[in-house]
Amino acid sequence: MYKSEKKTIIYVLSLYLSSTILLIATLFTTYYFYEKEQLIHSEKEVLKEYSLNIEDKLSNTHENNDGKYLYPRFSDFNSAIYDIDKNLIFSTLSTNIDNLNKEFFFKDSNSYYISSLKPYYLGAAYTVIEKKTAAMDIINDLIFIALIVIFITIITSFFLVKLVLKPLRENLHLLDNFIKDTTHELNTPITTILTNIETLDSSNCDKKSIKKLQRIKTASTSISNLYEDLVYLLLNHKVSSQNEKLNLSNILNQRVQYFMQMANIKEIEVDVDIQKDIYFTADKRKLERLIDNLLSNAIKYSDKKTNIKIILNQNSISIIDEGKGMSKDEINNIFQRYKRFDKIQGGFGIGYSIVKSITDEYDINIVINSSVDSGTEVILKW
Amino acid sequence: MVKQITIISLLLTMLNASDFDNDCLSCHNNDFKFNMMMKKYTQKYSSEKRIKKAIFEYLKNPLKEKSVLPFGYINRFGIKEKTDLDDEALSDMIDIYYDKYNIKSKIY
Repeated sequence: MYKSEKKTIIYVLSLYLSSTILLIATLFTTYYFYEKEQLIHSEKEVLKEYSLNIEDKLSNTHENNDGKYLYPRFSDFNSAIYDIDKNLIFSTLSTNIDNLNKEFFFKDSNSYYISSLKPYYLGAAYTVIEKKTAAMDIINDLIFIALIVIFITIITSFFLVKLVLKPLRENLHLLDNFIKDTTHELNTPITTILTNIETLDSSNCDKKSIKKLQRIKTASTSISNLYEDLVYLLLNHKVSSQNEKLNLSNILNQRVQYFMQMANIKEIEVDVDIQKDIYFTADKRKLERLIDNLLSNAIKYSDKKTNIKIILNQNSISIIDEGKGMSKDEINNIFQRYKRFDKIQGGFGIGYSIVKSITDEYDINIVINSSVDSGTEVILKW
Repeated sequence: MVKQITIISLLLTMLNASDFDNDCLSCHNNDFKFNMMMKKYTQKYSSEKRIKKAIFEYLKNPLKEKSVLPFGYINRFGIKEKTDLDDEALSDMIDIYYDKYNIKSKIY
């Protein structure tokens, strides 16, 4: 799976999911309040029934003639009676009721219903009925349903994204294969050109031809470098690093020599200050990619007739050029793949992304000091 | 001191009680009827304040329309005579009557 594909899947998933959750939340809230309304309605009905019941019992008790009045008690609800001035007459309730104006209310998991009476049996003008509120255990069900819906949403959105991205994916695959094949096919001609130029006897050529040859050699070096970069990118994730103790001083010297021709064409003075016998443990191919990219960038972005300084010491390499330089924003974005700041110069903009992946692998700290028009200093520290 | 107060209050209650005997029970000697009247008043006026007020007003000025008794009863026996007690004595008697016969205290 490509990195960008993953990102798209995550984006779509989160968008899809958040809208689904919003929808579910709205629906469920509405449903919840509807159910609550239903509950209130049914509770009210039950309490009304009880209220009539107690009214009946109160009238019976009132007619009692033995001078004592047994207050009617029920197993499924409690009650209280108040006189017309809202003074309590008798109560079996669990709490006190302060406000007799509300007809129906909930308090501490109980439902209350207040109704007025006439005539005032036992002096009761108001009856209060108290009953345990019927449980409304729909929340667990709702959460369960929500989880299922979210799960289904995740699965469908995943497949949806896959489906949508399929043509794109195929195209990318095609492109990848194309680059892979091209790269492979490039290897032989480049090697042929480079070896032939090296072995060409330039003594019988006139000055003009020698210059032309040098240009051909530089161009071939550029192509070769690009070729190496492409190979590195294509194979990077498939080949494990073969780390060994490398003489960094020698390798750096070799690479500088390799790019000398390119520098000469632009009449760039390369000032080399390399300490001898400095060792570094890494994959040789990767180390060369790292150095090549930094060197070729320095040369590529340098103006004609300027200086490039290359310094190697115990734990750092510095490459200082006097080229175009970069702004702060550009430095921040430099490690993104396919980022190129100068449209005039060639290249794929993959150089710094390779540099970054290698420095990350070997824990090399990369510092870029640069200001526009005064040059760039790249320091690798380990 | 406490003793004195107790004795005085006891005396007062007895005095009141005997007043009640003289002023009310001398004619209404039947407990049952007293209970019935209290029931009727409670059923019609509900609270202590309103019951007392209604009894007071009725005794001061008994009218057919104000009576809590059924019309048949009134037609047959007529209405009560006006009380000759003064306002203060009358409300004292009503207080005693309410304290003795009120329904609220008899609910259990």
